Amino acid sequence: MTWQMMLQQVINGVTLGSTYALIALGYTMVYGIIQLINFAHGEVYMIGAFVGLTAVLVFKANIFVALLAAMVVCIPLAVSIERVAYRPLRRAPRLAPIISAIGVSIFLQTLMLIIKGPQPVGFPPVVANTLYYIGPVRISLVQIIILVTASVLMLGLQLIVKRTRIGKAMRATSEDYDTASLMGINVNRVISFTFGLGAALAGAGGVLVGIYFNSVFPLMGVMAGLKAFCAAVVGGIGSIPGAMLGGIFLGVAEVFGVAAGFDTYKDAIAFGLLILVLLVRPTGLLGQPIQKKV
Amino acid sequence: MLHKHRLFTLVLVLLLVAAILGGCGGGQTQSAAETIKIGFLGAQTGGHASYGIETLKGMQMAVEDINAAGGLLGKQVEIIVEDHGSKHSEAASVTQKLITQGAVAIIGDPTTGITKLAAPIAQGAGVVLLSAGAVGEGVVEFGDYIYRDTLLDRVAVPVVTKYLAEELGWKKVVVITSKNNDYSVSQTALFKKALADNGIEIVAEQSIQDGDQNFSAQVTAISQKEFDGIVFTGYYTEGGLFMKEVRSQGLKQVLVGGDGLLSPVLWEMGGEATEGSMVFTGFAADPERATGKTLEFIKKYQEKNGGKLPDMFSAQGYDAVMLIADAIKKAESADPAKFKEALRETKDWQGVTGTITFGPDREPIKSPVYLLEVKNQQFAVKAVLDVK
Amino acid sequence: MLEEALRHFINPYYIQVLTLLGIYIVAAIGLHLITGVTGQLSFGHAAFLGIGAYTAAICTMQLGVPYLLALLAAGVMAALAGVLVGFPSLRLTGDYLGIATLGFGEIVRVIFTNLEITGGARGLAGIPRKTDIVIVYLAVVLTIWAVYRLQKSRYGRALAAVREDEIAAECMGVNSLWYKVSAFAIGSFIAGVAGGLYAHFLQYLNPVDFGFARSFEILTFVVLGGLGSLPGVILGTTVLGLAPEILRFGAVYRMMLYGVLMVLVMIFRPQGLLGGLNLAQVWRRIVRGGRPRVPAA
Repeated sequence: MTWQMMLQQVINGVTLGSTYALIALGYTMVYGIIQLINFAHGEVYMIGAFVGLTAVLVFKANIFVALLAAMVVCIPLAVSIERVAYRPLRRAPRLAPIISAIGVSIFLQTLMLIIKGPQPVGFPPVVANTLYYIGPVRISLVQIIILVTASVLMLGLQLIVKRTRIGKAMRATSEDYDTASLMGINVNRVISFTFGLGAALAGAGGVLVGIYFNSVFPLMGVMAGLKAFCAAVVGGIGSIPGAMLGGIFLGVAEVFGVAAGFDTYKDAIAFGLLILVLLVRPTGLLGQPIQKKV
Repeated sequence: MLHKHRLFTLVLVLLLVAAILGGCGGGQTQSAAETIKIGFLGAQTGGHASYGIETLKGMQMAVEDINAAGGLLGKQVEIIVEDHGSKHSEAASVTQKLITQGAVAIIGDPTTGITKLAAPIAQGAGVVLLSAGAVGEGVVEFGDYIYRDTLLDRVAVPVVTKYLAEELGWKKVVVITSKNNDYSVSQTALFKKALADNGIEIVAEQSIQDGDQNFSAQVTAISQKEFDGIVFTGYYTEGGLFMKEVRSQGLKQVLVGGDGLLSPVLWEMGGEATEGSMVFTGFAADPERATGKTLEFIKKYQEKNGGKLPDMFSAQGYDAVMLIADAIKKAESADPAKFKEALRETKDWQGVTGTITFGPDREPIKSPVYLLEVKNQQFAVKAVLDVK
Repeated sequence: MLEEALRHFINPYYIQVLTLLGIYIVAAIGLHLITGVTGQLSFGHAAFLGIGAYTAAICTMQLGVPYLLALLAAGVMAALAGVLVGFPSLRLTGDYLGIATLGFGEIVRVIFTNLEITGGARGLAGIPRKTDIVIVYLAVVLTIWAVYRLQKSRYGRALAAVREDEIAAECMGVNSLWYKVSAFAIGSFIAGVAGGLYAHFLQYLNPVDFGFARSFEILTFVVLGGLGSLPGVILGTTVLGLAPEILRFGAVYRMMLYGVLMVLVMIFRPQGLLGGLNLAQVWRRIVRGGRPRVPAA
């Protein structure tokens, strides 16, 4: 592999990885606060993609309106999922909310399969197919938009988490759920907010992926969700910078794996990496070590 | 708390009612055969739903035509519909259920995998299984009750490859295979042999997977080679997206592939990039040039579906029912053991998808092979290749 | 032979559905031992089912091994894989172990898709039909009996101790690694045998049947019935295993109903249908005429 090709693959990988990162953030924030693997998160991402598509097809929206529409619709969706399927189970045995999440995921997939049919729908060309050359390396306008949007969203997330009152409450709840509630933090509100925040990012991710790969379909959330979840774990679940790092790490690893001829093992690359990281550093790249309490 | 328990009881009661209802639905075993029943084995939900739904549409049209003309052996024909949700383990149960409900023939799933799953069950029960779409190897080998009415790749690939070499003058190609798609893997094997026979060199091979959306790595790899065209054996979604990536990396070659690419989704996914792509198939809805039965079918389908053109699956579903009806008429019996013999004798039978003959190995030989080309986001017939 | 006789009394469609259900029960009991009894979260159980299924199929088809021996081989291969997965449980606990097993399961599926001997994506067809409803329910009874005895033994109590408090168990001299790994091995062995039954029943295998969707399905059987309760696992598998067939009246909406069913049961019975119930006690109370005491949800 020449270094030009390598650089090219890095760009492809980082673009792919930043979409994983957008989904991974939702997993990681929710896990950080209520230790729930939210298996319905991939479906929120899928619905976001469909909302963006509808905005463009029916309302002739441009890409930014489509992104906004997807984010706005996904927030109440995720908040309602939490209200209906997870909140009644907050004190239930560990596995109950996970099963509930899988139930929600099956429900949403089937719903969209019935409404939209299983065939992928193409995204209308909202972005011109322009190519830019930086030396020998090629980058498309779509890739630039994805990278910029993802960066802006993640920066915004950092600001919310680090600089606002509700962000502070989120961090406190994540640190210690019971103490936070004793300190007068309305944890229910914080949890709803976290779900909404994660959903907005996933919805935006759905639209970006829809445009990048030009296809939107009801089962798109399954593999993407699972891989994004891997990214969250690789980065250290519960850690926001970890999810970003994990997503990009995974995207690049996958693209290089394919380029190196392990294309048929592509899905295995993500999961193999996952196991490797877990064995060497069980809490992920940037996760805090867990104390074994006696 | 009490409130919660009451709701829980309610759910249980609802389930019980559902169980009883479901039980009744499956219980009609021994009805006096007032109708001739044909089972539909396919998906109405899940990942393969679009094939199943189209196959069923074609089957229903055929049954309407048969019944309007007075039925079969003085009896009306009825389709029993069960959905297997694109799941293997459920498909086995559905096959069994169709047989239990008195189906004399099952018009099979368009996918090879599920056909292989249903075949031993149908063979064991002595019910004819006619797959309207399975193209993989090793299907009819399950036994003398198992048939299919599709254009087989082993018939089409040599004819098409010959055309590529002789008419288009291709000398070097790259081959793209979807590794988790049995259709693609088998077709690639056939292409490799046919390419070698016609003196075309394979300069690069890349694999993809169904469900992949990002082909930048594979396309970057082939962009280093020189070649005349791309042989792509996967499905239309990946085909469209693959071509999009090919063009966005500045490559000019066109793609050729089988009926797995035959869908408008190809250009919905790939847009401009799919212009000039070539697809071979056993059926093409071309109202301008179609004649006779085929034209009639296209018109009727369009009336029912708001002007939409029929695809391969609905046409094959239609032909499958008609083939069975033809065999029942010839055998003068709706007993599968009898009409399967008549089915075997089918020779130069004219259907909406062309002529069908079952060869000595009971495999269908269909002629002609249509080679289509994407022109202005439509499939236009590029060549009609006769099979000898 | 026996099945032939049964076919005259029972609708073959019911036999088909019930046989598959029996196979799922065996597989679910395997997971029950790992997750329910020993408390080791596994999101990759379908991989053991798959390893068993392919091993058994290859044994009978290519090596001419007799059916029962092939089932045994299926169990042994799956158990070996189980040991492999069990070791990381030394370092990984709780959700992290679950995630690692999920990764393991997906890797196994991808390997099945790529190997020549498993038929790759085309799947493996032409497996002889050896499994019938009688053999399956013999296996079900045998598995229930064996796991019941195991749970009641000294070994079973040690497994429960590891689940309840690993550190306390270690202090009491229980070698928790040995128990965790051996629970994985036995649970996987059971799943492997179930896989062998499955292969010789459906006569066709495809890697997509052994992905994470199947793993979650089996996990749902175990949790929905009542995690840690053997009768619960059987009930949960029966309810959910039959649900897709029973819900057929829902036509295209049936999988939506299935999803709703999962959420509802969890909300109203977070501990599972029979979770937290001691059936023997309930039975005694019913016999004595008292009302069973249901622990508050």
